[in-house]
Amino acid sequence: MPNKNGSVYGLTILSPIIEDKSATPSHDLQIRNYLAHLSTREESPFAQAPGTHLARLVVMDDVIYVGAPACEDHLKSKYLIFESNCDGDLDSYLSGLAENIPDHLDAVWKHCVGYPGAVNRPAFINYMKACQLDTTFFFAAVNDKTVTETLRALQTQNAVADFIATHQGVDAVTLQREFIEFVAHLKAMPPPKPGSMGPHRDIKTGGRNE
Amino acid sequence: MSNINGKVYAMNAITPMKPWKTWIVRVILFLLGLLKSLRQTVIDLSFIEFARWVVLPRGGFPFLGNGQKREDLRYDYLLFFSNFNGTWNQYIDAFSAVLSKGLNLIWNWSEKFPGSVPVTIFKEYIARVQFDTDYYYTAYPHATANDVKSAHIVQSSLDSLSLVAGQCSPEQFADAYLQFVLQVQTHLGETGDAPIAG
Repeated sequence: MPNKNGSVYGLTILSPIIEDKSATPSHDLQIRNYLAHLSTREESPFAQAPGTHLARLVVMDDVIYVGAPACEDHLKSKYLIFESNCDGDLDSYLSGLAENIPDHLDAVWKHCVGYPGAVNRPAFINYMKACQLDTTFFFAAVNDKTVTETLRALQTQNAVADFIATHQGVDAVTLQREFIEFVAHLKAMPPPKPGSMGPHRDIKTGGRNE
Repeated sequence: MSNINGKVYAMNAITPMKPWKTWIVRVILFLLGLLKSLRQTVIDLSFIEFARWVVLPRGGFPFLGNGQKREDLRYDYLLFFSNFNGTWNQYIDAFSAVLSKGLNLIWNWSEKFPGSVPVTIFKEYIARVQFDTDYYYTAYPHATANDVKSAHIVQSSLDSLSLVAGQCSPEQFADAYLQFVLQVQTHLGETGDAPIAG
């Protein structure tokens, strides 16, 4: 199954959410409440753990009825969807999550059926794999670069634009000297933090015509 | 809840399929993965960072016991997740205009799919089968798919020039630098806040 495209892994996880009529608010609402207050910038859990290009968490309440003459289907559980586009192999990625953001994982997945907790690493990985769906077709526009390589390339792109703009008409000796200094300076810089340089999160009203 | 983070939009859609049709979709998606020529239009459109289809058989929903009730469904389901640049309307319009045959090939097997042309009823169908994202993260929210592709071209060109920069005369370097500028000049667009679509 094509879960991978080049070196990028397309992870799709569906975790059944606990159905407990005595829970107030219900477990799905508790997940939604937690996610609503989670940063999407460099403080995001996915920025603190390695290897996530893009990821989403979605509470799926039910399947969708498209109208007669189709039949009406309903799920018996609600599901938490975790869709991630990440580097490397699956075990390394899941281990990285469990190692770096166990509290966030527990806060979200403790509302899901059979979740063993992130502290028990093998059980956590087995649980995630038990909830994994195989991707049927996976497309990645850039499929051979890690998150860090991409962040560094974006940093380089901005820096090169500035360098070119400020070195028009400079004599060859100065150009060569300053280019070598520029490259050394650029290599010494840490790459931007994942999730940084983005806009502050605004709560949107819906998914249609935004 | 937000379907948008920076310049990326997260779309989720789920459509029911009669189980006997599922295998047709699997074959089509297998061929799509196998033959690059079939994917070329998506590559050329260049506003999708990542996308996936997942065929989910009616018996394929994860079942973990522990009090969870087993699903009892009539249909298999086709899940679609996309991470694209631009607005919802721009995305669906472009898909309908440029990829209508490809979309029809994949979604014609879903119940009540009206076809991707005309675009108005296609949009109504997508809006019906779409569900919203609760949390959306991207490591580079200020960059589009094209920005990322361009950045890697600039990085690669810079790495090549820096290898020879210290080993040639200033005049030779100036020539190499000019070639470098010519290589990267169309890949230096600024990243930043997303424009407001009008």
